[in-house]
Amino acid sequence: MTDAWTPVALARDLPRLGVVPLCVDGIDIALWRSASGRVAAWADRCPHRGMRLSHGFVRGEALSCIYHGWSYGSEGQCLRIPAHPDLTPPEAIRVPVFQAIESGGVVWVAPKTTDAMPPAVGGTALRSLTVDAVVDWAASGFTLSSAVARGELSGVAMTILVQPLPNGRFALHALADSAAPAALIEASRGLEALRRQAEVALA
Amino acid sequence: MTDPIRDEWYPVALVSQLPQGDRDTLLLGEPIRVTLQDGQPMVTASGRVLRSQARYGHVWTSLGSPTRPLFDIPEADQPGRRLVDVGLVRVKCSPLRAVENFLDIAHFPFVHTDILGAEPHTEVGRYDVAIRDEVDEVWATKVQFYQPQAAKSAAGGITTEYMYRVPAPTVSVLYKTCPPRPGEWDVITLFVQPLTETLCEVWPWMALFDDTTPLTDLIHFQQTIFLQDRSILENQQPSLLPLDPGLEIPTRADLTSVAYRRWLKRRGYTYGAQLVAA
Repeated sequence: MTDAWTPVALARDLPRLGVVPLCVDGIDIALWRSASGRVAAWADRCPHRGMRLSHGFVRGEALSCIYHGWSYGSEGQCLRIPAHPDLTPPEAIRVPVFQAIESGGVVWVAPKTTDAMPPAVGGTALRSLTVDAVVDWAASGFTLSSAVARGELSGVAMTILVQPLPNGRFALHALADSAAPAALIEASRGLEALRRQAEVALA
Repeated sequence: MTDPIRDEWYPVALVSQLPQGDRDTLLLGEPIRVTLQDGQPMVTASGRVLRSQARYGHVWTSLGSPTRPLFDIPEADQPGRRLVDVGLVRVKCSPLRAVENFLDIAHFPFVHTDILGAEPHTEVGRYDVAIRDEVDEVWATKVQFYQPQAAKSAAGGITTEYMYRVPAPTVSVLYKTCPPRPGEWDVITLFVQPLTETLCEVWPWMALFDDTTPLTDLIHFQQTIFLQDRSILENQQPSLLPLDPGLEIPTRADLTSVAYRRWLKRRGYTYGAQLVAA
């Protein structure tokens, strides 16, 4: 099932050495990208003192906690405890790791292990925005299949990926089937209008 | 019947600020009012007058019947010391997490970068920790750490020696080498007022040998440090301090924290704490 994957960001919005907090299916996640460009999604909690790893920092291929600098390698295992530089950290110290993949210009996360691939999407990464309401896709001429809405905005064919957020909010990650600047500006305005409509309808 | 939580003394106001007006605040979730009555601090809860006293620049009170006197800081009465009211920082965290963070040195290079610590000087050497049964306090001694700017009065990097003391569940007293006065210790305290189990007000207070640094600079220095700590304290999961092992992983550098948690559990002090089984 492709439902296992949640779209969480446009790939270009997660720079190298970047780390951001996410909440997927009620699980707090630290999403980060290493110096070589690898994307990872981990439990957002350092096992040492419970500090959020999304406040941490990336060096090379490791994510470090901002509290005491404990650093963790690609499989989530603790690599280094700065207070004890000569100590090899025990195997048992590790951060839970979730599946994360970059595909079609989008970063996807699967909190539950899956063999499926995320849905095939593509286009020019336009922008992400959040909506404080449920979008009525059919009323806007879109067809929605799991997390993927397809339709047109201001005459531009669009693929919009829907990410549920806590408290009834959603993030929309928009891809356009055009790279022409004028068309992208129109599509961006169309996306804002879509959001306005949804939020006004709710109010 | 004694109550290990309500019978404690808690800081609830700065004595020096009372002339500016009453202070309505919370203690252990209960609304209280701190006021001046004939020039003396008075604390009430729903009209009931609570036991209170003025000490170390602060008003201390208790919702219950304290079974022991307020802890002693002999240095507070030592001639030549400058007593500094720093004010308060409100932190959305367990009061116990705030104390535990104050007892921790391993975070200096990462949270107080280039002030209290800096990479690559991250190593925490062995130090001594004990629960001193005769006074029922937690003590950590022979704590040493390299610091780029240990105090407002420090000119450059030095290895600072510390002693930490927990004389009450929401209080920590830090003794720190005093650069201008070898042989003496500067005293920096953390008085924590538990508003609720997950909200506290932190009142740092100092007794220093420093006649030169302007008061504003001393206060700004401490506020910078505590605001850096706040960004950590408001982002720990769970927000309650786990008293049982399992949820978190201590190392040798965390021995003070381990002793503090054990001591809290032994005293039955669970306000702001969680037991794993719960």
